[in-house]
Amino acid sequence: MDTATFRRELEAWLDANTQELTPPYEGAGTMDEQLAHYSHVKRALYDADFGRYGWPESVNGLGGSPLLRAIVGEEINLRGLADPSPWTMIEVLAPTVIDFARPEIAASLVPPFIRGDEMWCQGFSEPDAGSDLASISCRADKTDGGWVVSGQKIWTSFIQYAQRCVLLVRTGEPGSAHRGITALLVDVDSPGVSYSPIETMHGRHDFAEVHYDEVFVPDERLIGEEDGGWQVAMDILPYERSTTFWHRGALLHRRFSDLVAQMAASGDRSDTAAKALGQAFQSLVAFRCRSRDTQHRLAGGQQLGVETSIDKILITSAELELFEAARDLLGGVVEFDDDLDAAMWRTDYLYSKAAPIYGGTAEIQRNIVARRLLDLGPES
Amino acid sequence: MSELIEADDLALLATGFEAAMAEAPAPGEADQALFDLGWAELLDAASSQGSATAFSALGKTNSAACLLDDVVAQALGTAVSPDTCVVFPSPHQATAPAQRRGDTVVIDGLVSARLERANTAALAVENGDGAVATAVDAALLHVTAAKGVDPGHAYRRLSVEIAADALTPLATSGTWEAAVAAAHSALAHQLLGGARWMLAEARQHAIDRVQFGRAVASFQAIRHKLAESLVLIEGAESVAQGCLHDPDPLLAALAKSLAGQAALTTATHAQQVLAGIGFTAEHQFHRWMKRTLVIDTLFGSASSLPIEIGNRLLSQDSAPRLIQL
Ligand SMILES: Cc1cc2nc3c(=O)[nH]c(=O)nc-3n(C[C@H](O)[C@H](O)[C@H](O)COP(=O)(O)OP(=O)(O)OC[C@H]3O[C@@H](n4cnc5c(N)ncnc54)[C@H](O)[C@@H]3O)c2cc1C
Repeated sequence: MDTATFRRELEAWLDANTQELTPPYEGAGTMDEQLAHYSHVKRALYDADFGRYGWPESVNGLGGSPLLRAIVGEEINLRGLADPSPWTMIEVLAPTVIDFARPEIAASLVPPFIRGDEMWCQGFSEPDAGSDLASISCRADKTDGGWVVSGQKIWTSFIQYAQRCVLLVRTGEPGSAHRGITALLVDVDSPGVSYSPIETMHGRHDFAEVHYDEVFVPDERLIGEEDGGWQVAMDILPYERSTTFWHRGALLHRRFSDLVAQMAASGDRSDTAAKALGQAFQSLVAFRCRSRDTQHRLAGGQQLGVETSIDKILITSAELELFEAARDLLGGVVEFDDDLDAAMWRTDYLYSKAAPIYGGTAEIQRNIVARRLLDLGPES
Repeated sequence: MSELIEADDLALLATGFEAAMAEAPAPGEADQALFDLGWAELLDAASSQGSATAFSALGKTNSAACLLDDVVAQALGTAVSPDTCVVFPSPHQATAPAQRRGDTVVIDGLVSARLERANTAALAVENGDGAVATAVDAALLHVTAAKGVDPGHAYRRLSVEIAADALTPLATSGTWEAAVAAAHSALAHQLLGGARWMLAEARQHAIDRVQFGRAVASFQAIRHKLAESLVLIEGAESVAQGCLHDPDPLLAALAKSLAGQAALTTATHAQQVLAGIGFTAEHQFHRWMKRTLVIDTLFGSASSLPIEIGNRLLSQDSAPRLIQL
């Protein structure tokens, strides 16, 4: 289906089902409420087929370009119908699992994930392995019919809602760096998995510390090759920076529009206000135009790679600028007020501070641009 | 918007333009050669693609060819010829450069070196309810002698009052708004062409220059400055490329503003990486840096355009999505 027709039909369907899809809670809601509503929206989209386009038939999708998935998330976020964060996990993890997992595993496990019946999480970071992901130490040792996993992960988002986790484990010697890493798809309810949620500075329990104590993972849950986990992790990154970013960009656009409307209503026509809005908007548009090119390269079957670090830096800057502008222009709302609207601005302002940290820090992105895109040779 | 030219043909044209520009670097000197190479026909056949190609070449070669006159004349719907020049807005502004005051017209703007050769100037006059295009005898316009920061560039201040009856209204198909959009998108390409040149110079210097026993390119502070520059250039480039498919004036203003910001930041970072040698008149860097200062001010700058853009959004109460997948 061509994108314009798809968008028209989707818009008509969303218009007809607005009431059904609008969050039943006011403001941001609790995490439980958000996740429950997110599942509800995903299921409705799936059952109306919109949520199946852009996914291959092998996982019960209806085929078509990944642009269609970008459009669905864009429209949902522009209308504020569901929080984009849990949705991120699908766009980040499902394409790579489809590419690298055994076909029968993908065929049976991915459909409930993209239908919103299940939540998955990403277990990469460890207490001693953040930016230096290749130094992870959570181990998996071979046993009859599978693997035994022991070790610790941290910052695993949404694990308390998740059925499965894409886990990176050390299968090589301790010093084997990226060569000795394997990716496994682990059931979160396996015996030996335990977690304790960590409260974020914006007052939620987005992520958790996770312990794996002799957790058995069967052979068929291997993603990619044994010791081939680094390739799997590298395959995930460009997905994280294409469709997902398009969705988040739409959320940022909506919040920017909210800010413009509030400022227009306030009657503040100072140059200071106009300039802050103009600058925030231009950063958003730079990201959007860049990301559009990236979506089209992905849809055209091109392999995305390190150049998506530019998309990451652009969306991070746009997000930071937008909420700094909101904080400046709204005059104390972020700091002092507690009404629903203020709480949303505060939450978004605080959450924007995570943008230069997750998914590879701002510094790591600049290292990649310098090394791989500008070809500056090794660092000293 | 026409899109008639194949990428290969554009690349060939770009090579021809760059050679002609390099051969005749003085202000306006290359204009005739560019017309001979088919510049006017290119503008006519594919105005945005054509001006993007020519203005990227201007930025890359730092040529002072006066092609902005033709881009604005074409968008205004007036004749494009090496004998016609255009009066541009004052620095940092995008409003029509002339105001009607009773029987006189007050002109405050900029002109290019094309004026010296031109017999006619196209002049947009603010009438109170919009700008109208007029033609005026070029001999009536005198420029100040000041050379400014970049003596090699093509633009000079123009500040005169002339009798209103010296103007001939032009029956044109274009609008001032379209002219501003065409200028914004062309100048964005020029700024980015220059920014890429400065980044390439700084990158090469960082790789070649050894201090403390290693290339300065190995120091993270240097690497991050260059990376920052590339990110800003690529972000602005995507918007400037977007203008080729979408003639929206707001998108063009955003492209110009972003390109100005990218070029100014790249100039700052490149100068720091080049260090001492970059502060000399011997190294070519200063020419590109100064040209960036000049081009940034044309039709609104990276510091004035965001105000205009913000005001436009405020008056609409919302932000348009601009581009679609
Ligand atoms: C909201 C949120 C959600 C997250 N969700 C998940 C998740 O679901 N799953 C998961 O696995 N992880 C998740 N993470 C973790 C995230 O990926 C890590 O925080 C990130 O990789 C950085 O690691 P770190 O926090 O240990 O920082 P460190 O790596 O310890 O970095 C500390 C500082 O040093 C800098 N630094 C490090 N190395 C270099 C270098 N070579 N050059 C220059 N500077 C350097 C960093 O940029 C940073 O400023 C999440 C994080 C956040 C904030």
